Amino acid sequence: MISIRSLSITYETSARSVPAVREVSLDIPAGKITAIVGESGGGKSSLVYGILRLLPPEASFSGSILYGRENIVSASDAWIRNFRWKKAALVTQGAMNSLTPVISVGSQIAEVLQVKMGLKRQEAMKRAGELLEMTGLPADYARRYPHELSGGQKQRAVIAMAMACSPDFLLADEPTSALDVITQAEVITTLAGMVRRRGMGLLLVTHDLPLAASICDTLAVMHRGRIVETGTPASILKSPSHSHTRELLSAYRVIGGQLQ
Amino acid sequence: MRGYWVRRAAGAVAVLLLVIAANFFLFRVMPGDVVSSIVDPRFSPEAKERMRELFGLDLPLHSQFFIYVRRMLTFDFGISFLSQRPVWDELRSRIPNTAALLGSALLLSSIIGTWLGVKAAQRRGGLIEKVALVSGSVSFSFPSFFVQLVLLLLFAYTFPLFPLRGSVSIPVPQGTLPQVLDYLWHLALPAGSLVLLGFGSWAIYVRNLMVKTLGEDFVLLARAKGLSEERVLWNHAFRSALPPVLTIFLLALPGIVSGAIITETVFSLHGVGKFLLDSILGHDYPAAGAAFYILALLTITSNLAADAAYSIADPRIRVGHRAER
Amino acid sequence: MPMHRWSFLAFFLILIAAVFGPMSLSEDPQQPVAKPFAPPAWIGGDAPPPFSATLSPADPSVQIDWKWASPEDLSIRGNLSFEVDSVSASLKWETPGGDVFNLASFEGNDDWAVDIDARDVSFKRSLGISPFENAANLMFPSLGRYIISIEGTPPSGGSLTVALPGGKWGLLGTDQRGRDVFSLFLVGIRVSLLVGIAATLLASVLGLSIGLASGYLGGAIDSLIMRAVDVLLSIPVLPILMVIVGIWGKGLWQLILILGLFSWMGTARTVRSLALSLRESCYVENLRSIGASPFYILYRHLLPEALPVLLATISLGVPGAILAEAGLSFLGLSDPRVISWGRMLHEAHGFGAFTAGAWWLILPPGLGISIICLVFLDMGRAIEEMADPRLLKGGRR
Repeated sequence: MISIRSLSITYETSARSVPAVREVSLDIPAGKITAIVGESGGGKSSLVYGILRLLPPEASFSGSILYGRENIVSASDAWIRNFRWKKAALVTQGAMNSLTPVISVGSQIAEVLQVKMGLKRQEAMKRAGELLEMTGLPADYARRYPHELSGGQKQRAVIAMAMACSPDFLLADEPTSALDVITQAEVITTLAGMVRRRGMGLLLVTHDLPLAASICDTLAVMHRGRIVETGTPASILKSPSHSHTRELLSAYRVIGGQLQ
Repeated sequence: MRGYWVRRAAGAVAVLLLVIAANFFLFRVMPGDVVSSIVDPRFSPEAKERMRELFGLDLPLHSQFFIYVRRMLTFDFGISFLSQRPVWDELRSRIPNTAALLGSALLLSSIIGTWLGVKAAQRRGGLIEKVALVSGSVSFSFPSFFVQLVLLLLFAYTFPLFPLRGSVSIPVPQGTLPQVLDYLWHLALPAGSLVLLGFGSWAIYVRNLMVKTLGEDFVLLARAKGLSEERVLWNHAFRSALPPVLTIFLLALPGIVSGAIITETVFSLHGVGKFLLDSILGHDYPAAGAAFYILALLTITSNLAADAAYSIADPRIRVGHRAER
Repeated sequence: MPMHRWSFLAFFLILIAAVFGPMSLSEDPQQPVAKPFAPPAWIGGDAPPPFSATLSPADPSVQIDWKWASPEDLSIRGNLSFEVDSVSASLKWETPGGDVFNLASFEGNDDWAVDIDARDVSFKRSLGISPFENAANLMFPSLGRYIISIEGTPPSGGSLTVALPGGKWGLLGTDQRGRDVFSLFLVGIRVSLLVGIAATLLASVLGLSIGLASGYLGGAIDSLIMRAVDVLLSIPVLPILMVIVGIWGKGLWQLILILGLFSWMGTARTVRSLALSLRESCYVENLRSIGASPFYILYRHLLPEALPVLLATISLGVPGAILAEAGLSFLGLSDPRVISWGRMLHEAHGFGAFTAGAWWLILPPGLGISIICLVFLDMGRAIEEMADPRLLKGGRR
């Protein structure tokens, strides 16, 4: 379980300080899917990167993020490096620029296995092929470079990479936003399926409320850096209590999205 | 991949032909008799007549041009006015010196500049970044010969650590090792000064490229993987920035060749650039044309080498787009 | 506000120095003023400064208070006329120790033409010293008061000039011909500025027209021009310039023309991409749809938009032209009669500034070039910042 307790993240520039996350408390239980939805610029991504302590130096923290007994906010660099990917792995918008363009997809996955798990190069490459197959890509795509993959294929490769060290948690930051609707559904189904099969925890961050609601166990709505509503997707969809949730919902109703 | 190489090779051949054409016409638009630009006016009438025949000067211009192209491609540059020896013999002994100067200066300045640029991008606002920015301004605004003259004054006159002039000592030392050391001793200050002048602009370019690359998503993801900072920096960020870095190399190359000419003059090195200058000042036109041609050829060859490195560094060119299955 | 940048002030000062500096010189900077390679006065130590005095009928004796090391040379030149018929006059030299030499004597009834140089063998012989000894050295054995006087028949007209070439001179010493380096330096500003600005302006006009033509016409012309730019950017320009200057001649205007002809490529690229991005933009489309002529669009809309970028390109291009001029001059490919900073460095390098350890011949012109280049670079960046950033994104490579 990752427990966030009254976490605030502020970006201190020379001119002013911009609060991104304000007094957020949230539990991300293992083996469950937790979703955070909210408008862009609402502090969701800062929260995710904060958990991995990947924020730029001008970001300052207060509060705590507990993993077991360790507080991530104040943990040592060595501990964080071990925590990253082995305990919590990141799934970003793979369709964009998440894969290093000059390294083959397989080598990028194998690199993590070699560095973090101590595998030999050959084993690592073989395992990389298996991971790709798990996400629905042919194993020999390991030899391909990012520019040879389509957006959906890149996203699957990014998910395969996140699974490499069998982490306890996946942190997914808008994993499907850049994909077309059909690919979005395929990718999110693959992701949810793998997480459930392996009993991992997933923190899904998205602005797409219906998509989040369709797969998550717990839904949190974030607005201007605060979590304004938490609950099961069914209860929130039925009776949204916060005006921002209603706005998010009505946006989809207007467009004509059919909720379950 | 093949398309890339066909394009590059065609480009190189086109540049080469243009250089030859420019050479051909430059030395024929000069005032006075055409023969005087190709044949030494002091030659005897019989010798002049023979040269006329050899160069096909009585043939129409386009035939002359074809003869000229053939002679350029076979390094048959005629006889130098000044030394009365074949120009190619004069040049042949000088090409290795120029190549050594260019090669060592390029290699060292690119290594130092790249390292400095990467480190400057890693720690914005740090000391290394300030060094890179200042040395970049120096590269852009200090004349090379001025810096070299100051270096000569300091390290060859005030503190006589290095020789004032020349590529080798006279008399030449005995034995291979002393000869090599003597050569390096003479090369140190010229090549060192080119490095000193070159690494700054290099560092600035690399820094700008790296600052952009370090902001990319894949760098964030590499950090998220818990890889060490050095691994993220070099294996992910720098490797991705390498193709554009090689483009800089291509753009910087002509300037470095120009710098080598001046350097050879300042240090009186036995090189192609100094030969070009001496030939121009001595109105030795066949020699000047040939030296210019050789310098252009050196540039074009290095260009192709950089293209090759580019194609290896960038998988988008190396593997292209394999057919979807 | 970027206008407060130091470089604008510095540019203004350089302009003033270029206009008024050479005007303030009273002497021709080509004339020698002291011995060759004389160090600047402020580090010359006990080397003598240049000295001259006049002996005339009214003033037949001159005192020299000598506080320096012996000079290397001394000359006395001039004409004396006498009213009486039989003249017997001599030139006496009295040292602080009381020794008196007879430098020259004259018997006759005519004008006395004096032409004494301490380096002349005949003069040394008349003093009774060996031709290999330094007469000026022997004439100044110690510090103190020396007296030089015309004795015998008093002259009625004419004058003699006693001159000691200095062993140190002015702010920046002298060069291999004994010329004042500071004056040469002042005169040199003009060449650097003139060549730098004129060549860049020419290159900008060329680049502007070629770039506009390329971007606006597009198609085959565009790709042809851009290939030409690629080729010109991929071969070293300096050897081409050297060959052309060597064949064509070394005049200043020829140099400006040649430099301009070979440095328009960057501007053409910038202007082309600017023209391309503006051509695609909506408002030019709208102008076209309401029937504005291409020339009108160019003149009223593209040019004003391109102007700040162009100004920055010019300012950033000047250092290149200045460095190219200096480089060619340094290589000896410039008019020897025109004083420029590159030429000064050429002469310093070629005429033994090193064996004399004469750093004052190298640092001033070199630093001058560097500072002017830095100023233009900084101004260019400042103008770039002032210019619309939207344009810069489209325009810069």
